[in-house]
Amino acid sequence: MARRALLTARRRRQLLPYAILVPGVAWLVVFFAIPVLNQVYVSLESGTIEQGYAFDWNWSSYGTALSDYQEQFLRSLFYAGTATVLALVIAFPLVYFVAFRGGRYKTVLLALIVLPLFMNFLMRTVAWQTILQDDGFVADTMRSLGILEEDGRLLATRTAVIAGLTYNFLPFMALPIYAALEGVDRRLIEAATDLYATRWQAFRRITVPLAMPGIVAGSLLTFIPALGDYVNASLLGSSRETMIGNVIQSKFLVLTDYPTAAALSFLLMLFIVVLVAIYIRVLGRRSLFEAAAA
Amino acid sequence: MPEQPRPEDIIERLLAEQRLSRRGFLRKAGATGLTFSGAAAFLAACGGVEGTATKTTAETVAVDHPKVPITQLNFSNWPLYIDKSVIKSFEKEYGGKVKYTEEINDNQEFFGKVRQQLQQGQAIGRDIVVLTDYMATRWIRNDYLTPIDKKNVPNAQNLVEGLRAPNFDPSRQYSLPWQSGMTAIGYNPKRTGGKLSSINDIFDPKFKGRVTMLADPHDSASLMILADGKKTADATIDDVLAAIDRIDEENRKGQIRRFTGNDYTTDLAKGNVWISVAYSGDVIQLQADNPELEFLIPDEGAVLWSDNMLMPQKAAHPYAAETMMNYVYEPEIAAKIAAYVNYVTPVIGAQEELAKTDPETAENELIFPSDETRAKLNPYPTLSPEDENRMLEAMQKVTGA
Repeated sequence: MARRALLTARRRRQLLPYAILVPGVAWLVVFFAIPVLNQVYVSLESGTIEQGYAFDWNWSSYGTALSDYQEQFLRSLFYAGTATVLALVIAFPLVYFVAFRGGRYKTVLLALIVLPLFMNFLMRTVAWQTILQDDGFVADTMRSLGILEEDGRLLATRTAVIAGLTYNFLPFMALPIYAALEGVDRRLIEAATDLYATRWQAFRRITVPLAMPGIVAGSLLTFIPALGDYVNASLLGSSRETMIGNVIQSKFLVLTDYPTAAALSFLLMLFIVVLVAIYIRVLGRRSLFEAAAA
Repeated sequence: MPEQPRPEDIIERLLAEQRLSRRGFLRKAGATGLTFSGAAAFLAACGGVEGTATKTTAETVAVDHPKVPITQLNFSNWPLYIDKSVIKSFEKEYGGKVKYTEEINDNQEFFGKVRQQLQQGQAIGRDIVVLTDYMATRWIRNDYLTPIDKKNVPNAQNLVEGLRAPNFDPSRQYSLPWQSGMTAIGYNPKRTGGKLSSINDIFDPKFKGRVTMLADPHDSASLMILADGKKTADATIDDVLAAIDRIDEENRKGQIRRFTGNDYTTDLAKGNVWISVAYSGDVIQLQADNPELEFLIPDEGAVLWSDNMLMPQKAAHPYAAETMMNYVYEPEIAAKIAAYVNYVTPVIGAQEELAKTDPETAENELIFPSDETRAKLNPYPTLSPEDENRMLEAMQKVTGA
């Protein structure tokens, strides 16, 4: 009796790790693996919306996707890349200040960074339509400073789209960097200055490398969603600023050309995986795992 | 992913309480919609076609939906497209429960949603759906509909003449217009420095970057065909593609600021743009806050489209659906709906009814166009499925997505 109880207890213990995995795996299967497989399946169908679509290993959607939409792919890459760099340039000093100089206002300052996320993503973007409107304060000021031509505008331009992307994803850049900076052991910086490092040297050789996991994580969290975003381009841009997300959206909903839409989405995913792989290779895998730990 | 709502839709929903309402959504209906029904049908009707009920053609099918107690009605419509009190009064008068769902945001999207069931010959769980002319065409063409038993809809005789015999349903066997609307030009005369009169005026270089166009070619291309002095009713795919080329050319010059959904209303109201290819109902609603805005029915004409009530195949409650159709064709009820949605009412007598309670709205030429105005209204071009796809793809190239 006692022995059997012991056995089952042991077996239970052996099974426990798998049991713990079940919800996560189930989640991945249901919300990731199955949709992705379905998407691949749809991308290989052919037909029309009226006749219906049938699976026949039709690879041509991938050809169309690659040949017709290079412009939007490259543009997305450029916009998302620029927005990521800008977000880094803005977020780093911001959270550096909060982490090192925030003092008792730290929590408040941090809350202020996160606060915009409490508002709906679309509403935030629509708000930018008002901020950047032709007769608005920003555009008027820029005109009087000569940064913007007399009949120039901000809305429906590349500037607006990149600004929108930068703004919308800024907190995702700021928070991981903040977490990394918060974890920096101040005594290391002290030690560096004791050893005659200038403040700049200490910053460059101690603080930045220690913040690196946060920077890597923040960049990925900004870049990946920005690459697939279509809201900023459709609300703040024009036909000259459409991104790959806009193409996918219109293929799905306007043209109801599901195979090409699915092929485009799949290529976008592939594209992101490859870019991320290269990025991690260059910056080292370690920093990513540390970032995950942070 | 196909279910992903467009940002414009969501925003419109968020702004709904401002009552940018139906028109905004509607505009999307129009945006995606084709109206075959306008002028050609109008002319045909003038040519002596009697009310649909009496018209017998080879395609007329025998249909008999016996009178049964009304228990349930599943009615799918566009958001903010009805005065909800109409639903309540219907329930009160006829009993039963109306499940009124505002689930149609876009013709194509809605079709995508129910396509599989339709193609497998199944019921889609809805007794009335409201779709724009070109989508109604598709459903009729593919036999996805239950014919309407006209005996149960005597008020269908109140349908305005011009809409009685559209190309896609010459005897209105399967469809009955819910509301119509015009696509033409909304603008701010103060900004443009004077009145406009022609569609071509929007390409005046003075307005460079101050013009928006609807991304949907049904609307934009139709307007360009009219601008070219042609008639949309007999336009071919070549005319349509030429019209899209012209849009492309103007866009490359930077004349056109954006291609929009219903969100042009924001740009127009804020003064970012001065001229928009717009829907009549949108502009009427914008005028409440921006009285200087005007809706121009250009010399060359404007586009008139309709959203139609349709009964999908194997509809479970055809008699209830027909009773509802009949109900909203009571002039009094139609007037109530017109006052709320500000679109063009297809029901004769609604204007007189509305004059009693809201004379100002009843006078509105954009809600109750005069015969003179109606003569200037043109339907969407009639295109084969392949040509329609060519049109959509050509326009997609121009709008960059």
